[in-house]
Formats: sequence, structure tokens, C-alpha cells
Amino acid sequence: MELELCINGTIESVQVPVNEPLLTMLRRQGYYSVKQGCETGQCGACTVLVDGVPRPSCVMLAGQAGGCTLTTVEGLGSSRALHPLQEAFMEVGAVQCGFCTPGMLLSAYALLLRNPQPSESEVRDVLSGHLCCCTGYAKPVQAIMRAAAKMRGVQVPALEYHVNAKKTAKTTEKLRAVNVVSKETIRLRAITASAATAILAEPEVQYQVVGKAVQARDALKFVTGKPAFTGDVTPQGMLYGSILTSPHAHAIIRSIDVSQAKALPGVHAILTYNDVPRVAHCIVERFSADSSPADYYCLDSIMRYVGDRVAVVAAETPEVAEQALRLIQVEYDVLPAILDPRRALESSGPPVHPERESRGIVDASHNVAARVRTEVGDVERGFAQADIVVEGQYFVPQVQQAALEKQTVITYFDEDDYLVVRTDSPALQHIRRTISSMLALPMRRIRVVKADSSANANSKRQIMLEDLCALLTQATHRPVKLTYSHVDKFVSGRLRHTHILYLKTGVRRDGTIVANQMALIASTGAYATHPLVSPCSSYFPALSLYPCPNMRYIAEILYTNLPPSGTTHSYSMPQEFFALECHMDEVARQIGMDALEIRRRNWFQAGDTHLWVGGASGEQLPTESCGLPECLRAVAEKLNWREKRRTTLRSVSGGYERFRRGVGLALALESSRATSTSGATIKLNDDGSFDLFTAPCESGFSTILAQVASEVLSVPLEDILLHPMDTSNTLCDTNSHLTPYSALGAVKRAAEQMRRQILTVAARMFDTLPNALRLAAGIITSSSEQITTVAQVAAHALHIEGQHLVITASWKAQQTPASFAAQGVEVEVDTETGSVRVLKVVTAVDGGRFINPLLAEGQIQGGTTQALSASICEELIYDQNGVLLTAGLGNYHIYNALDMAEMQTCLVETEETSVPFGAKVFTTVPQNAIAPAVANAVADALGVRIRQLPLTPERVLHALHSQKK
Amino acid sequence: MIPGSFDYVVAHSVPEAVALLEQHGDEAKILAGGHSLIPLLRFRFASPSVLVDINRIADLEYLREASGTLRIGALTREATLDTSPLITTRYPILRDTSIMVADPVVRNWATVGGNIAHADPANDHPATMLALDASVVATGPSGERVIPIEEFFTDSAFETTLKPNELLTEIRVPSPSERSGGAYFKLERKVGDYAIAGVAAYIALDGKGLVTYAGIGLTNVGPHPIKAHDAGNSLLGKPLDDTAIHQAADLAAAAAQPNSDDRGPAEYKRGMVRTLCVRALRKALERATGGK
Repeated sequence: MELELCINGTIESVQVPVNEPLLTMLRRQGYYSVKQGCETGQCGACTVLVDGVPRPSCVMLAGQAGGCTLTTVEGLGSSRALHPLQEAFMEVGAVQCGFCTPGMLLSAYALLLRNPQPSESEVRDVLSGHLCCCTGYAKPVQAIMRAAAKMRGVQVPALEYHVNAKKTAKTTEKLRAVNVVSKETIRLRAITASAATAILAEPEVQYQVVGKAVQARDALKFVTGKPAFTGDVTPQGMLYGSILTSPHAHAIIRSIDVSQAKALPGVHAILTYNDVPRVAHCIVERFSADSSPADYYCLDSIMRYVGDRVAVVAAETPEVAEQALRLIQVEYDVLPAILDPRRALESSGPPVHPERESRGIVDASHNVAARVRTEVGDVERGFAQADIVVEGQYFVPQVQQAALEKQTVITYFDEDDYLVVRTDSPALQHIRRTISSMLALPMRRIRVVKADSSANANSKRQIMLEDLCALLTQATHRPVKLTYSHVDKFVSGRLRHTHILYLKTGVRRDGTIVANQMALIASTGAYATHPLVSPCSSYFPALSLYPCPNMRYIAEILYTNLPPSGTTHSYSMPQEFFALECHMDEVARQIGMDALEIRRRNWFQAGDTHLWVGGASGEQLPTESCGLPECLRAVAEKLNWREKRRTTLRSVSGGYERFRRGVGLALALESSRATSTSGATIKLNDDGSFDLFTAPCESGFSTILAQVASEVLSVPLEDILLHPMDTSNTLCDTNSHLTPYSALGAVKRAAEQMRRQILTVAARMFDTLPNALRLAAGIITSSSEQITTVAQVAAHALHIEGQHLVITASWKAQQTPASFAAQGVEVEVDTETGSVRVLKVVTAVDGGRFINPLLAEGQIQGGTTQALSASICEELIYDQNGVLLTAGLGNYHIYNALDMAEMQTCLVETEETSVPFGAKVFTTVPQNAIAPAVANAVADALGVRIRQLPLTPERVLHALHSQKK
Repeated sequence: MIPGSFDYVVAHSVPEAVALLEQHGDEAKILAGGHSLIPLLRFRFASPSVLVDINRIADLEYLREASGTLRIGALTREATLDTSPLITTRYPILRDTSIMVADPVVRNWATVGGNIAHADPANDHPATMLALDASVVATGPSGERVIPIEEFFTDSAFETTLKPNELLTEIRVPSPSERSGGAYFKLERKVGDYAIAGVAAYIALDGKGLVTYAGIGLTNVGPHPIKAHDAGNSLLGKPLDDTAIHQAADLAAAAAQPNSDDRGPAEYKRGMVRTLCVRALRKALERATGGK
């Protein structure tokens, strides 16, 4: 049918099939700001204004829009003329991955048209139709309030980040009065024992760009809805791939017949295990020194979970591809499935990995993928010497990161016949290596391109669709797009897996821990992708938060017939800290000590050396900085701990005792015994700008690297140019989850060398010594007041001296210093229903020096929100056949803007000299201590300990009733 | 996934829509807000051969109160109930209900008629309409037919007594008598989710404070929207005191037929019906006696 539409003020005539959703039509017409999320009207990413009213375009047919006026973000404002809302989103850092941003902007725009002065709760209400996994909603709310004020002509205060705690208190009041957004950030200067002397010896350097709240470099393209995501391009002649998945949790394909499907017009290729090489590999990124199991086959005859790959098809249209899948005849021999890791060890049925080709599995016949056992001292003797031994068992279920973006990969052969893989994974080299062995194509013939943005990039450090998509392109010699829908990602995707943890702690009456043991069983799902399988990560358990002479850590990582575990945020640390920090409250209760006091007595301190933080050469280095005391103090103060923490129960409402409140707190650290090496290249252009090439990293982190280059080079930030990343222009990194440490060092080192080279050339220009020159803001001044610019130096070097200034440097991080956090919540429990409402959440993070406090705050808020959501309402539930019952956002619950509590964030700075600029990596530490803080707060409110996540109403009520009996 | 193929027809009037239904019978589906139907089409849970779009029938969107009845046009959007002063002041139970539906973006287009006609036991309006003793108007080739809401739902989910050639055109709610009031309470896993359980209660009192009408409807605790008759009847002729309220709540819990699922075990849900029923009756009493 033909439609007349007015899109962003332009009248267009569009031909549409009657069954085409408006979302699909708009993207087909090039309006890529309209994002393809859940496609069931639940996430809000595809929102457009239809005659001025925000509506999800996925549940509206294009035909219904005939004669309507449509507005997308492209119509709101462009990079040349931004709408105040777009400006405010950039200014306050409300844009992270950028996927939900266009929808939020349109809903906010419609709200401000009808109500120019909304309250914060009205803004939250409107935003509740837009799910966001990265920001935690605080910054979008703040941005909308700010834009509204600006549009009304009200003066808004500049956003400031203060180092001095005293000043902060005042500024906060001011911000609150004007913004009505409860948000505050403080930076405390903690002087640790070892660093104090350093400060005295060398007065602190004043940085120009490092430590400043600089806007994310790529925010502009997201607020204007530019096609930055993997799925936002369509190469000429592209085919659509689709995957047939297993309906059984455990089965062997007895026969598979693709002849009917192949005969379907429009089908170009169908691949099954008969058509691909059987190469055992590991889907998550591992490194050369790593001996973790290779147990994955890109297509196999054994089905190991519901959602495992059976066959893949490439066809002219998505509809033909789906139709072809329905014509594939498969007969299965169904086998008994293992759905609970506790049953994996003694399962009498066939093991999950009986095949001979897999390598590195510890005990395939008993489904043991890996085992970790670490011990110091004599734990048993420690328990014997303790006054009290406290034991507890904790259970953390499987959860999904539920990024809203569809998972998309596009592959094609370029004009030079190189295979190009467009992905949103940052594991570019791993993908290149793996595809090379699958396709028997030399690595040099493969270029892997990372899309500018990707939601939850950390969860994508693995192969999801890249291998099959590349195989389809090889089979058809056509570009192919392969996509996991939102539901596919739940069914076939990667998840954070079940952990069952046993804690045993021996303690003296004075609160000193003398022996501590954590034993856990973890499910890795169908493949050995669990983070604990990798020796790189297996020695940094949560236990190291409380070093004591006798410690034991035991983990069994077991195969089950469930989707594979993945590289989720913070790996398996949230599970461990849930157990450990709940247990610490239990130990405190049993010896009658304050929960904070017992932590202070035992916690990790600056100067401590322990087994889990090692140097690059394996030696134990003392830890230089630890901001735990400042973090704890900040959180306890903001929670009003002393007044609110109860040992007895109380009611906060009159009449019958319906609501009870409590506060809880927990600590966490993030550390690794691994280190990594990265490279960086800086090229000086003849206009004085610099091209910066680094190891592949997440979009927010590029901004930080540019800040470092700008700082060292003393040139304006906009002179540092970042580029889309692919294997042809990125530098290697050896351990991508640690890239931040090593990339910072590599960029700093390259920039320092570049700076010296620039000054050397300038010195020759002025016939002086480089030491006699000053470089500031891109201008070079000699002692005799001669002046030149970096641009002139570049031109001189190139055209007079005949040399192009290009520097490549690499840097090996000597150690990975730990970052720390304290997190606290106040909850209100409805004792009639068991519902837990989190009223307030406070997170304080010691990240060494925060190179960009604006981005840091956003990342902390996002991590905090994800962790809260997982603590209260997220859980993947399977039926007895291993079929997921909670696929998609209808049944899998993630927090929206109305669920979210008041959030306070404190950035605590400590002095760390072992890493460039003292910047520690802190981004995932806020994931770790929220769940135990919530459970501890519920225990404070009700007097009952709940040892299982999430804290659903029925679980809380059940615990409350069990206590009464 | 993209929906399967179908014919798409826009109806510009009720008679036109009815004629199309008459022509296509079971093969046709009415497209109103589309928030339930289009996902069903995408996942191929439904594959009608004709979609009749009624969104252009402007005179199906209205709220009118006259001669003791509130008439809600079937195409009235949830957002209209959220903000209408008439609803806020005279029918707060309806606003209790509409603001519980999904999120504001969805409510901009989702319709009250669709929420009822879809007959999803998890939808919120059915329980409220059962409590209010509302009725719906079905318009077919031979004119209008008024169906009491209880007779509109059947024992099966997603099924109504609407004939294939009939269109739900109006919902009729009795206007509040003096000393009457109601409330809807819903327990959710998170804001905007379907109910773990929901209870709507509506009561009317005589001059002595004795109950003359009591209707109690339940959300998402059975295969279909449930009216808890015994619970309502147990209150008649009594003062609405704590004993009566608790007795009614026990009967409401007994009327629930919940299943264990990802929103909780059956027994928990039954207990929540009891708790929510107490809350709904207390709030109804408060409103009936002058509160807001």
C-alpha cells in the first residue's frame, strides 16, 4: 500500500507492505534513530511521536500511520542545531551506550510541550516507558529537568565536581534547590599511609584535562540518532541469516534433512554440522597462556541446551529465512538433561561433553569443567582456634544482562576480497583468530570491525554470531546479516550463572577472623565459558577483602544443559560478594558486634600484601592505596547509619505494623592477578591535530584515552581524533578486560614521546634546546618569547625536515591495583506482601584518580542500578525440560525509572603510583556489594536472613513467616 | 519477526467495521491499540487473514456521564483515564486501574476496550469492571446488545461471548451513588508489570453505614477474570468493619484459582488476594465516606 506521511516536516510518499511494522519502515527509510529493541512494546527504544504523541513504533503497522505527522530524533535537532534536551543529555552525561537515548528524548520532548515545568516524579513517570541498562536513570532525569529549566529561561548552575569535601556540601544544597534531582557527587582526598610521603615530597601536579568532567566524545552521534550501531548499515545485496535452535536441553541429532528448505526459492545456503569443520574452540576470549577448555563447535550433532545451534540459513529476506527453518526436518534422540549444577557431579546420564575432540576439560565424565583450589595457612587449625565458627549457605540464581540492543553481525567480502566482520564485540582479535581457523582463511584476509557503540560491551567479549555469519558469507559470497532478537538473546545467549556458595568463618570474640573458607559450586552451562574457568581470573576471589592467616577457596565449575555462562559485568564477583558480605553481617550478629566494626577490624588495608594481587612477574607486591575507610565513612554517613541501623525490630507507621525499614551496607573490591600489554599510536597531522589509535575499548573509555593524550601533549582535547576501531587500525592488547590499565599507559607513553619530538623539532626551528621551550594549549613558547604552534611544528617537520611525526609505544602494566567500594541501601519492607522497596542507595567508589568524574559517576550509577534490579527482581527460570520461562522483557523484570531509588554517588580518590595518573579500574566494582547490602538491610528491617537472590516478595514473606513460627 | 501476511482494512465508522466483520467472520481481527495484537502476530500466535483497524473511528473515543451511567467509548486511550478530571473526581477506581497499565508510552495508545476485549486474565480493567458491575455494548449487524460484564468473559482466557460479527463499542459503568466508593490494588514484581495479584472492590452503603452493594473482582489469579461473588455477598447488610472485611477477604482468596509461575507460587498469590482485598475494601470505605 502507498502512504502519504509527514516525517520530520517533510512530506513523503512511501510504498509499504501491509504487514510491515512502522519501526521496520522507518529504519528502511533511513531513520536509524528509531531503535530495534524488544519489538513487543516494552522497552521504549523505538518510540516515535505520532501526531505529537509518543508511541512504540514496533507495535504499530506502518499502514496505520498514513496521513500522520511523525517525528523522530532526526527531526528534533541536528548536530548543527541541537535541541536543549539533546544538549542537556550530553552535558550531564546522560548518554552511555546511546541505544535508549532517542526514545527518552522524544518522550521528554512531548512532556515538555504539554508541561514546561514538570516535577521530578513526572519526569520519572514518563521515563518509565524507556528501559535503560547503563545510566541508572538519574542522569536522564537530571538532563530533562535541566533542559526544562533552560527552556523556561531559568539560569541553571554549571555542573561542578569538587575535590574538597567541605565545599561539596554547599554545592549540593544549591544543586538540589535548582535541579530537584537528588544526585550528588563528592570527591574525598584520601591520603594513604604509603602515599602520604609521596605527597610531601612532590606537590601534586595540576592537570588541565585529566580529572575534568569532559563530555563523552561520541555523545553527539547518539543524541542525534546517527547510525552508529552494528545493525544500522545495510550492504548492497545483503542476505538475511537465521538460526534453527534446539528444542531439547540434551539430545543427539539422529537425522537432519534440509532438502526441502534448500529448494525454497530465495534460500542461498543452509549449513549444518555436516557442512562445517569440527574445530574445538572456546567462545569467550582467552589468551595464549591460557589453557582453559576448548569444547565448542560452531555447529554440532550434540545439542547441549534449549537454544543450542542446529542449522543456519541465509536467504533473500528474513521471512524466507524463517520459512526455510520451518522446512528443515530434524529427528532427535533426546537424552536426560542436567539442569542443576548440584546434580552434575553424580549424574548417571550421559555427560554434557562426551566427545573426544574437546580439550582441557578437568573431568568430562563427571561434568567438571574446571576446579579451583587455593589455600594459605592451615584452615582447619584456624577453625579449631576460633572462639566461634559461623557457617552459611547462599544461593545466587542465573541472570541476564538484558541489553536492549539486538545482537547483530554483518559479514561481507570487500573490494579487495577481504572478509569483513562487523560486530559489536570488543574481542576483535579473538574473533579474527577463531574465524580464521573455522574458514581456513588466513588471519590477514580477515578484518574485524567494531561498531562505534554497543550496549553492555563487556558482556560481548565472546563469539556469538560472528562464526556462523562468516561461514554463510563464505558459502554464498554475499553480505549476510545475522541477528539474535531480544528473545533469542535470552534463549540462546549468555548469562551470569547459578552459584551455590558455602561460607565458613572462624572468629575470635574480639571480632578477629582467624580462618575463612569459601567453597562454591558454579554452573557454567553447556560450555566452559564461566569466568572461573580461566586461570587469569581464578585467583581473585572476594575472600581477599578480609585477609587472614588461614584461608581456603574452592570452586567447582560444572557443566549443565543450560545456556552458556558469559563474560558478564564483574564476572562472578557479585555472586561471591553476596555470600561473603551477607555472611560478615551474620558473623557480626553472632558475636554481638556492629556490622561495620567487624569489617574495620578485618578488612584489607593499604600496605597489605596478599596472594591474589600479584605483580607482572608473579611476585607479591604490597597494595599502595585502599580507600575502603573513606568509602565506608561516606556511605555510613549518607545512610545515617548510626541512627537508622537497628538491632531490634520497629515499625515506621502507626496502627498495624505494615512497613518496616532497615539499612544495610556491604564492601567490595575489584582486582585481578593478571596484567596486560597494550599499544598506542599517535600520528601528528599537519594541521596540528593528532590521530590516536589504541587497543579496542568501550566507547566511554575512548574519551578517557583522548583526555590522557590531550593532557600529556598539552593540546586542546578536540585536537585528539579517535576513529572507529577495526583490526587494521587498533593495537594489540593481551587481556582485553584489563585494557584500561595498559591502554592508558601506552597512550601516556606514546604521547610523552610525541611531546618530546614536537619540542625537539621546535627547538631546531628556534635554534634552542628543547628544555628551553614551554608547551601549553597547543602553543610553544621559547625562553626568548618566540612563539610557534603545534600545527606549525607539524608542517615544519613534514615539509622542511622531511619527517612525519608518528609514535607507537607499548606498555605492560606491572600490576592491576584493586579498586574498592562501599555500598549501602535503605529499604522499606511491606510485611503483608513481602515487597521490598529500596528507598535510597549510596555507592562510594575508590577508583584511584578519576580521569573523568562525569563518566565515572554515570558508570557507577549504571552498575548500581543493574545490581539493584538483579537483587530485587531478576531471575531466569527454566521448566523441568530446560525451557526458559522468562524469555523477554514481559517476564524478565528489569528496573525502570520508577522502580529506581534515590541514588547518591561518592567518588573517593586515593593516591596510586603503580598505574598511569593513578587511575584504577573501577567500572564493575559497583556491581558487587549491592545485593548483600539489600539483603543486610532486609535482615535489619525484619530480623531474618534471606540467603537467596533475588529478594522477591514471596521469598521475603516466606522468611518472615518462618521466623514467626 | 515480522507478522505474517494479512489484508489490512481501515474502518471509518462502526457500521463499516461491523460490515467487515460480517464479511470475514472468524478470519478477521480488530486492531485497536495493537499492544497485545501486534506482538501476537509477530510471534505467529495469531494469524488472522484480515485486520480491521478501528483507530480512525473518531466517535468511539469518549467519556460521557449521563442519566446515572458513565459511558466509555471502546477506543478511549488509557492515558485519557489517567488525566480526565471526571474520572479522577468521580471514578477514582478507574484511574487506580489505568495508571497500573504498563507504562505511559504504552498508555498513550492502548485502549480501555482492547484491555477488556482481549480477555487476558492478567489485564487490569476486567477486575475493576467486574467490581463495578459494568456492562459492555456489542454492536453487530442487527444493532446493539448490552452484555453484563460477567457474561462477557467465559471460563477460558482470551475468550469472550462477543460474536465474530460484533464489535465492542462501549463500556457502561453505573455512576456512583451517594456513600459509595471503590479502589483497585495491584501487587507487581516491578512497576508496570502484570499483576502477581490484583483486587478491585466497590461498595455502597446505606444511611446507617450498612453495605447495600459490594463487588469484588480479581486480576491474574485464574484462567479468566474472576468475580468473587461470595466475598461480595458476605458484606451485604453489614457494617464494613474489620471483621466483615477480613471475612470477605478470606472468601475472595478462596475464589482465586491461581497457578504457580514466575510471578510466585499459587499459595502466595492466594494470600495476596486476601491482603489486597483488605486494602481495597478499606480504601473503598474511605472513599465512600468522603475520603479521596
